[in-house]
Amino acid sequence: MSVSASITDRVSSSGPRAVGRATTEGPLVRWFLIGTALVFLGLFLFVPLVAVFAQAMEKGLGAYFASFRDPNALAAIRLTLLTAAIVVPCSTLFGLAAAWAIGKFNFVGKTLLVALIDLPFSVSPVISGLAFVLLCGRYGWLGPWLEKCGVEIIFAVPGIILVTLFVTFPFVARELIPLMQAQGSEEEEAACALGASGWQTFRRVTLPNIKWGLLYGVILCNARAMGEFGAVSVVSGHIRGQTNTMPLHIEILYNDYNSVAAFAVASLLAMLALVTLAVKSLLERRVLRRLARAGQSRPTGG
Amino acid sequence: MSIQVQNISKTFGTFAALRDVTLTVARGELVALLGPSGSGKTTLLRIIAGLEQPDRGSGPIRFHEEDVADRGVRERQVGFVFQHYALFRHMSVFENVAFGLQVRPRRLRPSKAAIQAKVHELLKLIQLEDLANRYPHQLSGGQRQRVALARALAIEPRVLLLDEPFGSLDAKVRAELRRWLRRLHDEIHVTSVFVTHDQDEAMELADRIVLINQGRIEQIGTPDEVFHHPRTEFVMHFLGQVNLFRGRLEDGEVHFATLSWESPEHAQLPPRPVKVFIRPHDFEVATQRNGDPCFKATVSRIHSAGPNVRLEMVAESGEHLYVELPQDRYRDQNITRGSQVFVTPQNVKVFADDGQSAETPSGSRPSDSQLPSAEGRFPGPSVVPGGRHDG
Repeated sequence: MSVSASITDRVSSSGPRAVGRATTEGPLVRWFLIGTALVFLGLFLFVPLVAVFAQAMEKGLGAYFASFRDPNALAAIRLTLLTAAIVVPCSTLFGLAAAWAIGKFNFVGKTLLVALIDLPFSVSPVISGLAFVLLCGRYGWLGPWLEKCGVEIIFAVPGIILVTLFVTFPFVARELIPLMQAQGSEEEEAACALGASGWQTFRRVTLPNIKWGLLYGVILCNARAMGEFGAVSVVSGHIRGQTNTMPLHIEILYNDYNSVAAFAVASLLAMLALVTLAVKSLLERRVLRRLARAGQSRPTGG
Repeated sequence: MSIQVQNISKTFGTFAALRDVTLTVARGELVALLGPSGSGKTTLLRIIAGLEQPDRGSGPIRFHEEDVADRGVRERQVGFVFQHYALFRHMSVFENVAFGLQVRPRRLRPSKAAIQAKVHELLKLIQLEDLANRYPHQLSGGQRQRVALARALAIEPRVLLLDEPFGSLDAKVRAELRRWLRRLHDEIHVTSVFVTHDQDEAMELADRIVLINQGRIEQIGTPDEVFHHPRTEFVMHFLGQVNLFRGRLEDGEVHFATLSWESPEHAQLPPRPVKVFIRPHDFEVATQRNGDPCFKATVSRIHSAGPNVRLEMVAESGEHLYVELPQDRYRDQNITRGSQVFVTPQNVKVFADDGQSAETPSGSRPSDSQLPSAEGRFPGPSVVPGGRHDG
């Protein structure tokens, strides 16, 4: 029909416009800005990272790998992985629930909830750790009751997991709240109107729309869960082979002048950071490619 | 499937979005909810859909005699088309349209082949068969709109509800899509309600128009009825340009500016201030005085592009007049800027002046403070009102 033909014809493709010369700065300014950034990155990121690996390899590969065979080191790695394995899913669930509630609904106390979610970001981790000691320690509020029940929290694995959870729970929520707020709830309403159940709406409409943000939040949360030092240090008690996580183990080795072992474990943590970064930028590239594809075929009119 | 809502009220905080609204939409009808933004028209649509709950104490919402007020949007089986389409952005056109069928409980879900057939049938209906694998961001606004419509129709809705269906399209696509939707409705005959703030859209598309203002229904009628016989001042104002004069009703005659207008309908009413409305095309313009009572005016501006010529004038008595003339009549009269002309109203509407008249005419409803509208006639040569309506 002619009506539809003329409507269809209105879709024309125009590629993303290249940044014109008119909108860029002069070469001097450009080189200065780029140079500053590079020097800064080199001094504060690259050089320290190289130093870590150099120190770790100082006495050769044999010594490097021997550091990981130490039972205390293995225990620290295991504890760190265990903590992350418990904390990351919990934080993810909490983040999803909080972002869903805040992004899609209006309720009394919403502002307060948003402020509370930011709390772990705004207080020093040491204070977070101390708060748990005051709460669950032997002389804390819940201390006597916990002792009666025979539950050990402070200077034990549960305490480490609890403070890590506390420190990391904003990551996923923070990532998702602005995203979900920006997306609004029209698509969810549409899904409901089409007869989808709550779970179907979440799985088939909400989740696909937030998956990149969610993944990014999980990556950040994981990095922090594995690397957290301050809060964990307060509640762990530093019992070698039992309550030392990787960052704590590194500190102990370092204080023992065992720099090869310290830097070897440190290099492992750094590697985790590198892998995390690599995964993150890979994801970003995929997102950018998707956006670029979308941009290329974006209609100009209609 | 008919729709019936009774005594629906809705309050957001302290803001009354709907006040005691009652409306019936007949089976197969296409009805427009027309009103300015913030008038409550979208709220009414969302309440019919079940996306919003009416206040407690509101009456029933019936789809074909069955009260659905207690049912959520999921169970009402309505097709809802959102203003910004709300297409699932990560799904292709095909997946969008198929969604409503795929989420059905297993025992009600059609087979894969049946879903495929149904979706293709719908894509054919909206003339987008070739674009089944495109994603929403790869479509133009008009195409997205049609996909949204197909998606809503896929579940074989009992009623179709459209929220500002053409709101975010440019003027040309809008007009095309409007005619297409009307044809589609004539083909499939599903009871439909759409929200719009554009009176042209409502006039062209709807079987009946529901005019809503400040949460209340002002008038319900066919496009012809509401345009030619507006019951309230708001309707008169909203459905096109008007010239407004303040006047006085006395002994069945309305006096405004330098003119008097016979209004026998109001003869029994006590003297009161009134508002007099005249549409721009309800004037006769002449360069010679012909004996009728008229405004003597000077033309101050002429806009001659378009089907009608629009003239701005200043009357001798100081009133600003806005007059529309068909092109041929304009050329015949040889009017230029600064011309002296004689302007005779052909058709006036009289409403009580709300601001000043405390008492209401027959006192039926407190909200009904307007006088019944009167289409009076000038004393002297009688002119058939509504003879020319080209606006």
